[in-house]
Amino acid sequence: MNRALFRAMFKQHRKKIAAISTGIFLYEGLLTWVYPVVAKNPAVAQVAESIPSAVKTVFGVPENARTDTFEAFISGQFFSRIWVMLMAFHGIQTANALLAKMIDDCSLALLLSTPVSRGEILSTQAGVLVSSGAVLVAVTIGGLFFGTSRFGIPINHGNYILLGILGLALFTLIELYSLFFSAWLIEEERAVTYAAGLTLLFYSLDIAGGLSDKYSWLRNLSLFRWFQPQSILEGTTNPIGSIIGLNACSAVLWYYAKKVFERQDLTI
Amino acid sequence: MIEVKELNKLYSEGRGVRNLNFQVDAGKAFGFLGPNGAGKTTTIRLLMGFLKPDSGRVTINEIDCWKEKAEVKKIVSYLPGELHFMESLTALDFLDLIARMHGNKRQIKRNRDYLASALELDLKILIRKMSKGMKQKLGIIAALMLDKKVLIFDEPTSGLDPLMQKVFIDLILGEKKRGKTLFMSSHQFVEIDRTCEHVGIIREGELLTIQSISQLRDAEHQTFEIEVENEEELEFLKQRQLNLVNIQEKSCMIRITGEMDKLWLALTQVHVISFRQRSLELEEAFMDFYR
Repeated sequence: MNRALFRAMFKQHRKKIAAISTGIFLYEGLLTWVYPVVAKNPAVAQVAESIPSAVKTVFGVPENARTDTFEAFISGQFFSRIWVMLMAFHGIQTANALLAKMIDDCSLALLLSTPVSRGEILSTQAGVLVSSGAVLVAVTIGGLFFGTSRFGIPINHGNYILLGILGLALFTLIELYSLFFSAWLIEEERAVTYAAGLTLLFYSLDIAGGLSDKYSWLRNLSLFRWFQPQSILEGTTNPIGSIIGLNACSAVLWYYAKKVFERQDLTI
Repeated sequence: MIEVKELNKLYSEGRGVRNLNFQVDAGKAFGFLGPNGAGKTTTIRLLMGFLKPDSGRVTINEIDCWKEKAEVKKIVSYLPGELHFMESLTALDFLDLIARMHGNKRQIKRNRDYLASALELDLKILIRKMSKGMKQKLGIIAALMLDKKVLIFDEPTSGLDPLMQKVFIDLILGEKKRGKTLFMSSHQFVEIDRTCEHVGIIREGELLTIQSISQLRDAEHQTFEIEVENEEELEFLKQRQLNLVNIQEKSCMIRITGEMDKLWLALTQVHVISFRQRSLELEEAFMDFYR
């Protein structure tokens, strides 16, 4: 990892990170502000109970899960779908900007003309990528702690931290396969298409698998199967196994991304 | 210092370089000329370790440019043909980054300040607000401030105004005096003429010739475009044992090597409608290879 490059790259992306962080913080503020009102209204719980399970699946609420807790509310309104998509989009876009775009527009040429090796440059870019994801996860969990404390909503902080760690593992894997596609295809458009296509495929499998028992096996093919926020927040699922599995996949992808990039012809 | 042996690199669409062989001795300057798509930039990318040779060997100071691509950068400064920077940085931030990636020596910063003042570039400006010429100056500063033994420049003056082209040539001559080895591709015959001892001409991926600039000077010739009043007068010029080329109805080009007396004598006996000297002598010599 090259410290000077890390600082310069992070500086390039900090405005975007700040904007997304602000958006997350404000949205969480809104959700924690309205939750006490929603929780006091029994009609809302009845509506939630009456929603068919297939529709709940689309919004990431597990079958037979409770609908009257803050964990159910925050999972359905934020963690299960919006957060995952936002973070996946950020990971794909940033990975692409940090490598494929820089190869495409030749701005990597001047960096690669220094005595810093390709491997070290890729490690630095990966460092920026994972760090920006970590900042967003930290803001998400921190923002929720702030909101729940501000509006007097009782939560189990440990479960939220575990969800943050699982989220970081999941988003790191998405970021690393995006980086792998950038290193392999060295072309912005194709790298984005492959990374976004794979993410959408995982997402579709997760939704399709939840719509009917007949197709439930499809969920096993999806990366998002390992990310079930409501059960983790309620403490009914231990995510440690998923975290280790996702990190192991990330390590394998990182190994191949580095190997491919070291040998790649770069027309820069 | 720079050695290229039996180098081949072909892209899938058939372009690239074939069987390149040349060497540049330490302290010497080598100009690399050729039309667009001839293989100049591919050769430079191979020298910089961006591309892996299909076969052959590229070394700088006996370091393999592909196998030891990070090691070779310790002695090389590079200016790419297509300059793209991290646009949200200021020029100063960018140069600091490059200096740090090269070990951040104090001398680099002193050189940076000297070059910025010589090229009249304000380093506080955001790169995305810079014109093409300003970015070219920034690239030149980034390459020259490092004070490396070997300079590899791909069309270094494109985008610079004539005044700055002259400043650049003076800077390069200064570097040469300090014993630097230079490999430079260019379309600007003047800068090759003024800075290089040898020139290689590449076309369609093959090195056509390597000649010393002094040899070319010995054989230098001048070309004139002349239009006369009628065909009879043109026929008259043809019979004067002048070297006429590109003959049209009433005009032609005349190429003269050495004494001009014969030309002047012939022209006094015809009505000259127009008379124009064609480009520079060296350029004319190179054009033969280009065609």
